Amino acid sequence: MIADYLERLTSRLAFDPALARAVREEVEDHLREAAARHGSDEPAAAERHAIANFGDPAAIAAQFAVASLARRARHAGAAAVLMLAAVFVLMQARLAWYAATQWPAIGMPELGAAVFAIDRYAFWAALLLTVAGWVYLQTRGVPAMLDTRYRRELARFALLCSLASAALIASVAGDAILTCLRFAAAAWSAHFVVPLASLAVEVACAALLVSRIRAMARTSSVLRDPRRQQIC
Amino acid sequence: MLKGHLDMIVLAALSPGPAHGYAVIESIRRLSGGGFDLPEGTVYPVLHRLEQAGLLSSRWTTAPSGRRRRVYALTGRGSRALARQRAVWERFSGAIGGLFRRKPA
Repeated sequence: MIADYLERLTSRLAFDPALARAVREEVEDHLREAAARHGSDEPAAAERHAIANFGDPAAIAAQFAVASLARRARHAGAAAVLMLAAVFVLMQARLAWYAATQWPAIGMPELGAAVFAIDRYAFWAALLLTVAGWVYLQTRGVPAMLDTRYRRELARFALLCSLASAALIASVAGDAILTCLRFAAAAWSAHFVVPLASLAVEVACAALLVSRIRAMARTSSVLRDPRRQQIC
Repeated sequence: MLKGHLDMIVLAALSPGPAHGYAVIESIRRLSGGGFDLPEGTVYPVLHRLEQAGLLSSRWTTAPSGRRRRVYALTGRGSRALARQRAVWERFSGAIGGLFRRKPA
């Protein structure tokens, strides 16, 4: 009986396997202890009593899901801050590498200057949007239930994160174009490995950020649709 | 009304020392004289939320039965938040008490 109840509770949390596992262990400990302390000679009756006192699994799962969504939102915010810092360090390291190896100047200076300007403004836009999103999230409380106000706040945060990601992607694309222009001006050598590797890490950072935001959006959509919450 | 104060109730139940979820619920029931009769399961999401907010910490231990058990404790931030909420509550209940003690004219 307890196993069935745990199954009904955790199947609704399947979108967050780590949370589902932790909740299962914790709730099982509670239900077994409650049944043991019930003092009934009939184990089935004791289990039934423990389950009845625990409450509706759908309602409890919904409350856990809100905490999970809040955690994912915070992770997305933290990932955005970290990824931006990483991209900034990589950009500076690449420029330092070009200077140290006396890399030839970009072959098409007008195009290079235009791309550099887009790259720079896109990066600062991403930084401003991320900081705005982070401050916005930190100043909001997490409610016990997913209410309209919190949904609206999360939607605003997701919008800020999505805009920040779009700006970061534009900045990384600018970096890629600038790197190609640099490569076109130089003869192939082992020195190419460092800018290529740093660019690959930048692309990975942007991809990781997008995946974090998508995970948050997925959880949010599951919570909006209770049918999906059961089957996800 | 109870739901609005659940965070404070859970923090207060943990103020004597670390406890697992079942013990927290028992403590709430005992100390409130059975006045707070809420579904036991609603306390666990609150514990998780307070932990995420940095007001509680948790660690897994092994119960005498051999099952894994999660034990929660107040953090420094949690103790300060409880002290603030207690002060607000005492002011509020004192003010309401004063109003109710007034004799009708």
